[in-house]
Amino acid sequence: MKAYKYLLIYLIPLLFSIIQTTASFASESLVIYSGRSDKFVKPVIAEFTRQTGIKVILHTGKSTALLNKLKVEGSRTDADLFLSNDAGTLQRGSDWGLFQTMNETLVAPVKATLRAPDNTWVGLSARARVLVVNTNGPWANKNLSVFDLADPSLKGKLGITNSTNGSYIAGVTVYMESVGKKKTLQWLKGMKANVDGHVFNKHSKIVKAVAKGKKQVGLVNHYYIYRHLAKHPDAPIKIVLPDQGKNGMGVAWNVAGIAISKHTKQSSAAEKLVAFLISEKGQKQFAEVNREYPTREGIAAHADVPPAGSYKVAYVPMVELGEHRNETIDLIEQVGMP
Amino acid sequence: MAVITSPLIGYLNPGKHFTSLGGLATLVVTLAIIPLLFVIYNSLQLSPTQWLGLWSSRLPELLQNTLSLAVLVSIGSVTLGVSSAWWISRREFPGRKLAVWLMILPLTIPTYVFAHIYTSLLEEDGWLGKLWIMLTGNADSIPDLYNIWGVTLVLSLAGFSYVFLLARTSLSQSTRTLEEAARIQGASPIEVFWRVNLPLLRPAIAAGLAVVVLHVLSDFGAVSMLQFQTFTLSIYLQMSGRFDYQAAAGLSMVLVMLSLTFLVLERFFRKRQQYYSARQSRQQPVRKATPFETAMIWLWLGFITLLAFGLPIAWMLSWSWEAWTQGLINSDFWTYTGNSLLVACIAASIAVLAALPVAFYNARRRSLGSQTLLQLSSVGFVLPGPVIALGIISVLLAQLPFLYGGLAALVIAVVIRFLPLAVQSQDAAMAQLTPSVEEVGRSLGAGPLENLWRVVLPMVRGGMATAWVLVFIDTLKELPATLILRPTGFDTLPVRIWIEASEEMLELAAPAALMLVIGTLPVLWIMMGSKTSNNSSAT
Repeated sequence: MKAYKYLLIYLIPLLFSIIQTTASFASESLVIYSGRSDKFVKPVIAEFTRQTGIKVILHTGKSTALLNKLKVEGSRTDADLFLSNDAGTLQRGSDWGLFQTMNETLVAPVKATLRAPDNTWVGLSARARVLVVNTNGPWANKNLSVFDLADPSLKGKLGITNSTNGSYIAGVTVYMESVGKKKTLQWLKGMKANVDGHVFNKHSKIVKAVAKGKKQVGLVNHYYIYRHLAKHPDAPIKIVLPDQGKNGMGVAWNVAGIAISKHTKQSSAAEKLVAFLISEKGQKQFAEVNREYPTREGIAAHADVPPAGSYKVAYVPMVELGEHRNETIDLIEQVGMP
Repeated sequence: MAVITSPLIGYLNPGKHFTSLGGLATLVVTLAIIPLLFVIYNSLQLSPTQWLGLWSSRLPELLQNTLSLAVLVSIGSVTLGVSSAWWISRREFPGRKLAVWLMILPLTIPTYVFAHIYTSLLEEDGWLGKLWIMLTGNADSIPDLYNIWGVTLVLSLAGFSYVFLLARTSLSQSTRTLEEAARIQGASPIEVFWRVNLPLLRPAIAAGLAVVVLHVLSDFGAVSMLQFQTFTLSIYLQMSGRFDYQAAAGLSMVLVMLSLTFLVLERFFRKRQQYYSARQSRQQPVRKATPFETAMIWLWLGFITLLAFGLPIAWMLSWSWEAWTQGLINSDFWTYTGNSLLVACIAASIAVLAALPVAFYNARRRSLGSQTLLQLSSVGFVLPGPVIALGIISVLLAQLPFLYGGLAALVIAVVIRFLPLAVQSQDAAMAQLTPSVEEVGRSLGAGPLENLWRVVLPMVRGGMATAWVLVFIDTLKELPATLILRPTGFDTLPVRIWIEASEEMLELAAPAALMLVIGTLPVLWIMMGSKTSNNSSAT
């Protein structure tokens, strides 16, 4: 059959694959299981490789799926490090004993609240759970609480993500720990009525919808707002830091962070990478590229962002984001949030 | 029961029923059901109260969602697939060969790519969104796809080609004598379609629908992009969101039951209708279409093509162009493509070889035992990809740790997932292999091996080619198991599409999707070639 000769065109890419694969296994490289967007990680990693000569392989996926993989693989894992954009996931890995304890001197530059108490993981960048508000709408100039999102007047005007989103779950955990399950449950019910089955699968789409006036208020991570404003400087949106004031619980924070696998055979190289990521230079690159808050003490966030310390942050240690994660999911399921 | 276990008994008790073929088939099927055993083991750990919890909290909704989706997608695929197959096989019109191609090209596009493309097309600044605003002047009413209708649209467009392929084969094989008899008796064309063509088509439609429904039940890409809660998505969320393997296993168990019931029903109905599919020998030339008919045919086929292939390809090309001009396409793309092809080639070859004893054994025996093996081999199709992946990791690490770390784990998982495709198409090809054919070979002095090589293999070659191509295509598009099992740093095209799409880097997702389409074309070419030269084998 003549048609089979068409298969020959497969040879070219196949050759690429084989060369690449053998090349990557021939050299000793650090392997990161990464649950964070490639585009934010790659530039920093490239800089690290340039400085130290240590090669790094990024194995990207969903944080939770990669943590599962790490757990199941046990001592057989290739991973030297685990990178996640949710403290809850990091802490879960720590509870399972998947990570090494890092040297106190190594992680000391990072604020103690933004790393694990036993130093099994360390936060690299922090994000705030804030409200994005349409400046032309009736909600523009109010002091808001996230609990206002359950207000019936917001029916059809509220943008939230679907409830499987890691940032969303972490946020709800903070509120649950701050005000109790009962109030959180009522709040979720109110929001469920307000969104009327229509939730977003991406934070960026919420910001877009608020900018277009289709929604008045949205609950997002702060950097999505600046990402939109960078592209559309005239968009009628602004950031509102919720739950301020004397009795407010404060804004929920979460961190993206990194941990060293317990079964790594390259501890010292892995520590070098961690050290680089929390160095001043690494922090600037890792956090600023996404307008996040650097976790290293003494480094300011991008000028657009409300400075850390200028507003109230909910006092819920990052550890609890992992410890109470399943309770939060139970609560969400009990309400039947979409 | 004695009959069901006969291959096993034969295996253990060589004196009596031993056949090496049966043993080999049993071995293959045993390997294929490892993930199922893993699921059964894990779901046995669930306490009755946990089952009750699952039952009351999520099962009703999941059952309703999954079943209604299966029904709606079936309706969608039959409408698209049968109508196009009927016109193409019953009328001669300009561009008929091209039309066949246009109807199967959607197979090259994975469901998650469809989902992604249509959601971005329907945004306010997407092509369809703009069109909508132009027509209605209202941006708020743009339909969105995050519901059962959206998922139905996506899965029907991605799956109708299977129905088309099978319906076309069946339609071009049955002769028109029955139709003519009906026409002579005064039946209108519509009556003929309902009362003659459709009953004749039923087995083919059933077989096509089986493939479509199994794809729906196991689909992960589209439902996760569109956030529609089916079993697969819920199982994945239990596993990755809550780290609750037991609940995931429990849900998988229900899904397996559901799919097996469906498969058994399908087999049962197909068997009862075997009479209809009896072949008739007299073939007549196809009638020429009138100009009006030609216009109508192309209007309909053009509409299907526009939705199922034209728009997606245009989208891919336009974003790929964007990527090209930004200089984003580098040698990495070739590596991803090569990785995808590597896995697909290996998996397809192994799956075809592994399926051979199962199908061959069934062709020889036609016993309840061989049928059972055949059914059990379909288990890969009904288990969600993430579950298979986890089962494979656990079993490999516990029993065969040296196989873990390279490509082996991924290849095993993919072979298990798509073994049913290989088994089914080879089984169909072997249906024509009556014992007398082999006896003739034997009587002419051929030994068993020579017989296999010179008589059996040539006869089933077409079926094997089809099997290879089907497994190849599905492996190329495979996402959930690959995401979990790929070797470290080994990214395939679907993995890249998934990563870039979830970061909304459309200009990087599009070229990868385009590459996937291009990569599938040569094998489709082969399949269509073997179809025309060896038409009867592909029923």
